[in-house]
Amino acid sequence: MIPIDPNASPSALLELIYRLKVKDIMTGNVKSAEKDTPLREIQKLMRENKVSGVPIVDDGRLVGMVSVDDIIRALDQGYIDSPAGIHMSRQLVVLEDDMPVSFAISSFEKHRFGRFPVINKQRELVGIVTSRDVTSGLLLEMNRTLEEMERALNAQSAPVPAGQVKRVFLVQQFDYENAGRASTELKKLLNDRGVDRPLQRRAAVASYELEMNLVNHSLGGRLIFHIDVDRVTIEAIDQGPGIPDLAKAMTEGFSTANDWIRSLGFGAGMGLPNTKRVADAFDLQSTVGKGTHVKAVILLKVVEGSAV
Amino acid sequence: MTFDQVLEAVSGEPVHRSSRWVGQSIRHVVTCDLMSDVLVTDHDEVLLVTSLPSDQVARTADMVGACGVVLVNGKAPQPSLVDLCDQLDLTLIRSPLGSFEASWHLGQRLLGKE
Repeated sequence: MIPIDPNASPSALLELIYRLKVKDIMTGNVKSAEKDTPLREIQKLMRENKVSGVPIVDDGRLVGMVSVDDIIRALDQGYIDSPAGIHMSRQLVVLEDDMPVSFAISSFEKHRFGRFPVINKQRELVGIVTSRDVTSGLLLEMNRTLEEMERALNAQSAPVPAGQVKRVFLVQQFDYENAGRASTELKKLLNDRGVDRPLQRRAAVASYELEMNLVNHSLGGRLIFHIDVDRVTIEAIDQGPGIPDLAKAMTEGFSTANDWIRSLGFGAGMGLPNTKRVADAFDLQSTVGKGTHVKAVILLKVVEGSAV
Repeated sequence: MTFDQVLEAVSGEPVHRSSRWVGQSIRHVVTCDLMSDVLVTDHDEVLLVTSLPSDQVARTADMVGACGVVLVNGKAPQPSLVDLCDQLDLTLIRSPLGSFEASWHLGQRLLGKE
């Protein structure tokens, strides 16, 4: 059983754990030993390779496993110089390299082992999987999937007229490692277009305030830039939780940020008011339980009779 | 004020020198640990002085167009902050002085009194 509800989980995540195979996340080139290898040598192998379990093979086939627990028992009971074949665990749960990662996850849930040997169709040992491999494998794949989704979002947009640029960035809640990346990109785009530094600064500040709001307060969302010859429009659209009192949110100094967000230098209750201050036009729509949509426009050129 | 004069004023050591180290003039100093407050400033040729060693310091400095950051109280920057300063072409200086003392010396220097 996988520890999530398949009916209530995002399909992208479910698709991921079924699409990824055990061979995609396992550690190959496993240090193994033969049946007649003394346990003392296996202990050395564990120390040198920083592993907590060594598979025992016979002619390439997996026949057992020696764990740190087995070594401790051997030291305790004085048979550390005995061959592994006598004392190894023979009751093995193995995974096959072509199984989906969901199998590995459910095996960790079911058996509470620290690692599983991985075999191929010929029953040969090809790798080992730890819970750490599952976590890092999933994170890497999620990152790749998110990048693909961002690219697809940018590509599927309606054709943008010459001179116009549209960029869409997915922003995750509490992702402080990437927070600000989208706004840096906007600043670079404006700089490349030769936009004046004070206008670049206003657009970057508006974008960064909205991006940090998405990271600090939303459940995740999108930051969208539309750059035209005469204006840049920045939209922040999130999936919740929504703002209960828009007037309060627009009051300088009012903030719902916790101490943790404040310790990072944010949460002074200036985000939305400051975005409005630097923008030529500002619009805020929010529904509790649904989400918030903020739009800020910065004019790059004065256009007579233009309504922003 | 130049970056060399900043180093002297705050008894600092350069952690990362941007490509603009030579020739960059500094006319304003913003001292703040709250990045939200830094974002409401509107100056050119500005230097950010802070004791907050988070990556968002470099992001914020870049957004407001600051040319560099002085990290006070002898704080050691994380490698990720140094990397980000490199990517964003920002100067990063480390100073053993506290915020007030560093700001006072920088202020004296800007007013031509030091």
